Amino acid sequence: MRVAVTGTPGTGKTTATDLVESDLDVIHLNEVIKSEDLSLREDAERDTLVADMDAVEEWLGDRDGVIVDSHLAHHLPVDKVVVLRCQPEELEGRLTERGESEAKAEENAESEALDIVLSEAVENHGLEAVYEIDATDRSPEAVAREIERVLADEREPSAGEVSFIDYL
Amino acid sequence: MAEEAPDDIWGIAHVHASFNNTIITITDQTGAETLAKSSGGTVVKQNRDEASPYAAMQMAETVAEEVKAQGVEGVHVRVRGPGGNQQTNPGPGAQATIRALARAGLEIGRIEDVTPIPHDGTRGPKNSGF
Ligand SMILES: Nc1ncnc2c1ncn2[C@@H]1O[C@H](COP(=O)(O)OP(=O)(O)O)[C@@H](O)[C@H]1O
Ligand SMILES: [Mg+2]
Repeated sequence: MRVAVTGTPGTGKTTATDLVESDLDVIHLNEVIKSEDLSLREDAERDTLVADMDAVEEWLGDRDGVIVDSHLAHHLPVDKVVVLRCQPEELEGRLTERGESEAKAEENAESEALDIVLSEAVENHGLEAVYEIDATDRSPEAVAREIERVLADEREPSAGEVSFIDYL
Repeated sequence: MAEEAPDDIWGIAHVHASFNNTIITITDQTGAETLAKSSGGTVVKQNRDEASPYAAMQMAETVAEEVKAQGVEGVHVRVRGPGGNQQTNPGPGAQATIRALARAGLEIGRIEDVTPIPHDGTRGPKNSGF
């Protein structure tokens, strides 16, 4: 089984996936993209690499039994997609606290308010494979437990149960 | 694309299209003054009624009438969000909203996609918008 754990940067994917107890191996994909330079080009304005998703898929290969942590993970062929959500103001705070620039925190908060990642996940995998988790005001441990419920098939798929558009 | 004549009053229509909801705000050309804003409503627990194409048309008509009453003849459009341009997405989305503004009698000028891009040292290859 391959599971994507996706969501706007700052929703707490890396923190939560490091706490998940399972037989699956966790891949922190953003680190791999940077270290293996699986990129098409640089987006200088955002100080960011534009990922080469074909190269990423090739790197991943046939590997099974993995949890892929990244805001790009839902672009990969996987069996289930967990989408972490976080209220944009809280998200902005989490990113700023992590040391990110105001511009980066703001653009990610706006992305979250517009459900960008969720929309992409549903478009790529369909409603039956997407599991939305509201991580606002929830501890990383609680989020990890919820992800475990998805892995154990103890949870129904869901999408669009939170609405943050009023943030804009 | 409609051209502005020197005497025409034009505004900017900001279309925010999320998964379940679409909100339209029409400002003056500087963006500073809001002339009209739709009450898209907050969609919780998949209240799909507010995201139906009919609701989008009603909303667009209402804001169009409001700004036409203020003398606005046309709008340039700035779109944010993938909205409902995919089959699986329930939101009415940007395209349906812009069509509705046009049907309500506003001229449509430049359409610009300013959808934000989530990024964290890495980002996707293309803008997921419109
Ligand atoms: N559940 C949570 N509650 C509060 N803060 C959190 C939570 N999860 C993560 N954080 C904090 O928010 C920031 C972003 O978390 P991170 O796991 O790096 O997010 P992501 O991998 O989604 O970009 C970090 O500083 C982290 O310590
Ligand atoms: Mg991370």
